[in-house]
Amino acid sequence: MALRMTMGNEAAAMGALAAGCDFFAGYPITPATEILEEMGRRLPARGGVFLQMEDELAAMAAVIGAAWGGARAMTATSGPGFSLMQEHIGYAALTQTPCVVVDAQRGGPSTGLPTLPAQGDVMQARFGAHGDRPAIVLTASSVWEAYAATRQAFALAERHRTPVVVLLDAVIAHMREPVEIFDLPPPGRAPWPGSRTTKPPFGRHPFAPFGGGRDPIVVTGLSHGEDGLPTTGSGQAAERILKDSITAIAHDPELASGVEGFYLDDARWAVVAYGITARAAQAAVESLRAAGVPVGLLKLHVLWPLPEAALIHLADRVDGILVAELNLGQLVMPIRAAVAGRTPVEFVGRADGLLLAPEEIGARLRTGSGSVVTEQGGRRDA
Amino acid sequence: MGAGPVRLTRIRLTGRGGQGIMLAGAILADAAMRDGRHVTETQEYGPEARLGATKAEVILSDAPIAFPEVGQADILVCLSRDGFLKYGGRIVPGGLRLVEETSVSEEALDRDLCRFPWRERARHLGLELTMNVMAIGTLQAVTGVVSEESLEAVIRERVKAAYVEANLTALREGERLGSGVRAPVVSPEGKRREGSRHGFNDLQ
Amino acid sequence: MPKMGQSVDRFLRREMLPTVWCPGCGNGSIAQALAMALDRLGTEPKDVAVVGGIGCSGRTPFYMATNALHTTHGRALAFATGLKLAQPDLTVVVTSGDGDSLAIGGNHFIQAARRNLDITLLLYNNAIYGMTGGQAAPTTPVGAHTTTSPATGSVENAFDAVELAMAAGATFVARTTTFDMQEMPVFIERALRHHGFSLVEIITQCPTYYGRLNHIGEAPAMLLWERDMTDAQAGQHGGWNTGIFREESRPEYGDQLRRRQSGGGA
Ligand SMILES: Cc1ncc(C[n+]2csc(CCOP(=O)(O)OP(=O)(O)O)c2C)c(N)n1
Ligand code: SF4
Repeated sequence: MALRMTMGNEAAAMGALAAGCDFFAGYPITPATEILEEMGRRLPARGGVFLQMEDELAAMAAVIGAAWGGARAMTATSGPGFSLMQEHIGYAALTQTPCVVVDAQRGGPSTGLPTLPAQGDVMQARFGAHGDRPAIVLTASSVWEAYAATRQAFALAERHRTPVVVLLDAVIAHMREPVEIFDLPPPGRAPWPGSRTTKPPFGRHPFAPFGGGRDPIVVTGLSHGEDGLPTTGSGQAAERILKDSITAIAHDPELASGVEGFYLDDARWAVVAYGITARAAQAAVESLRAAGVPVGLLKLHVLWPLPEAALIHLADRVDGILVAELNLGQLVMPIRAAVAGRTPVEFVGRADGLLLAPEEIGARLRTGSGSVVTEQGGRRDA
Repeated sequence: MGAGPVRLTRIRLTGRGGQGIMLAGAILADAAMRDGRHVTETQEYGPEARLGATKAEVILSDAPIAFPEVGQADILVCLSRDGFLKYGGRIVPGGLRLVEETSVSEEALDRDLCRFPWRERARHLGLELTMNVMAIGTLQAVTGVVSEESLEAVIRERVKAAYVEANLTALREGERLGSGVRAPVVSPEGKRREGSRHGFNDLQ
Repeated sequence: MPKMGQSVDRFLRREMLPTVWCPGCGNGSIAQALAMALDRLGTEPKDVAVVGGIGCSGRTPFYMATNALHTTHGRALAFATGLKLAQPDLTVVVTSGDGDSLAIGGNHFIQAARRNLDITLLLYNNAIYGMTGGQAAPTTPVGAHTTTSPATGSVENAFDAVELAMAAGATFVARTTTFDMQEMPVFIERALRHHGFSLVEIITQCPTYYGRLNHIGEAPAMLLWERDMTDAQAGQHGGWNTGIFREESRPEYGDQLRRRQSGGGA
């Protein structure tokens, strides 16, 4: 097995290439820049297009344009750029444009803590654009998972015709771990499944870009029906397209199974965590288990749609759930709503640029008391 | 975490921007991977990384590594004074500290600091920039956390062809400096260290 | 040199030192020249606001003892527009990088030039993105190396900020270099005294990225590179000409607005 020390960002780029990505547009921002640089090195050699745009609005716009030109397209950014992309993420959602956005989260809001880790974009990734829309958000807690999630994002984007967000964090993005050297498919663009049909261009029909001998189509950020033409009067046809898409995503078994359990069989308390925090939680759980404390971990690979069935199943079996995340309380809100009182849901989090340490999570699991945000100040390891 | 038989070693390399700390961390991590160990490596990024103290952190283990952050290190390798001031204290009691001799001032001469003339030796050999690799050589000789063969192989792979020999020379010089140095097992308080809870056995 | 020291010092926030800038970076020279120009202008720190974008250059306000507004990437001119209109008595200076002003902030740049509001923009042109580690900027010369250009060097045409500003209607337009520490404070002072939108583009050195990626070397070599790139034949070898290219009087935006407010034209 040939292993290579690989950075999370590099792995994300490789995951995109493995999925057939042939277009990248971006704007430099730490801690996502290595994805841009990696794509800049690799894409042209594979016959793809690499563009550094003038800002993130433009990058996202170019990605959408490229998708309609038939490319498997992606961009990568971090907090400030992700905020700027929101308008066009909404546009991609309404126009059912398959594309991928990697957001390597750093401390915010605003310029915030460049470039310390955070998980503060979880709600923005779901609700950042105005209006209602379907959303798929994946995450990763290792270099390998950064590869796998980005690769999977392209398949999901294509299946559901929607922008898919991969949320990394500054630690996973910049960490290096040994991974098996990735094999890339031969360069070249696979045709879109809808290319040969004459079905209407929107709704549940597969995506087909402009050209390829098809009749011309209209793409607009105005609400539209399956034919793509703006809806006049009320937008019932448009609403139905959105609802259909939200339902299809909610019932996609691949998304619903985006969780991983550790020591859950006999756990009395369970941590729910994702990204870098899931690794701290895993260390905490392992050390408590070594001391005979029955705790477990539910690690999330998919954040949106929230894997509700798995959470409810867990809630029915444990005495309590501790949600750990690097923010002041984001995913804990929909988790509480999903669990709906079946079991207590507590929260531990911080947003000061430091990681939640295994000891911090472990201490909360031991005491299981009160939902308070970790007090700030003072390095915990000093 | 595991107080059991798993050997897990957390190493922090620190120095000034421009001293090649990132490269040293990468070489160490790559070599450990070649040795078949589990490895995580994290580095400091962003504008701050260009100024003053920088660090690279490497964890080596026989089992998969859950949490990749080095809070309190088992081993500190320090090439500069500001690195020592910023990170010298974040180490487990009795942890091993290998430091460039000019990076600590007289009053900080703990008995358990291992001081090495890396800079002076690297200069003497003609390339001060190789002191990072020399320090890794010393680390390998003192602790054996990574094998000499893997370090050599990685240097041949990673370093620009023109500098490979100079770096290999530095590596061997570092190993020479470290050979015969027994890793101190006495904490600053003079108590015998009870062996780290991280199974720090490879120091004996 | 005119009396430096005490009075120039008034404009520098010593307690913030050392700066975040790399050794040999040109940004320190620009901050120094700005302090000298403000001093010669005879103003007080409390009557000045320095507005920075995001980037190494955008950090300048932290080192000035004036009011400081460190804003978001590319938008400093828009913040400054609001500030100046709300508080016309302030001397408003914007410090911004070439990426900040000409890429993400390109639109704000031409709109500000067009409006002719009384703001001075110091555009730090190091031909590269410094803070994020050496990516291509809209000013990167064709053929120059960055971490996001093809291996053979940049293939994109570079912006000429001076021509762009003139076309957009700026009323004071100048270019100088950190090589010329006599000229720079003079140009900045002239720009500050100008009533209207002023651009002073300053060719400055980023030894850490531009110098290294293009094998020019450290600061001293880069200063010589600046000299050569701005010599008399600059236009012929892809360099920059320097000087004051426009200094003309046109109605200032704030004055125009206030005239309307008080209800009469004349
Ligand atoms: C919206 C947004 N995108 C990206 C960034 C990351 N970023 C910080 S500074 C910078 C560019 C720096 O280059 P330049 O403007 O030329 O200034 P310099 O650092 O060279 O002075 C970028 C892209 C950001 N802060 N905000
Ligand atoms: S990176 Fe370049 S522009 Fe930024 S401080 Fe360093 S030398 Fe200056």
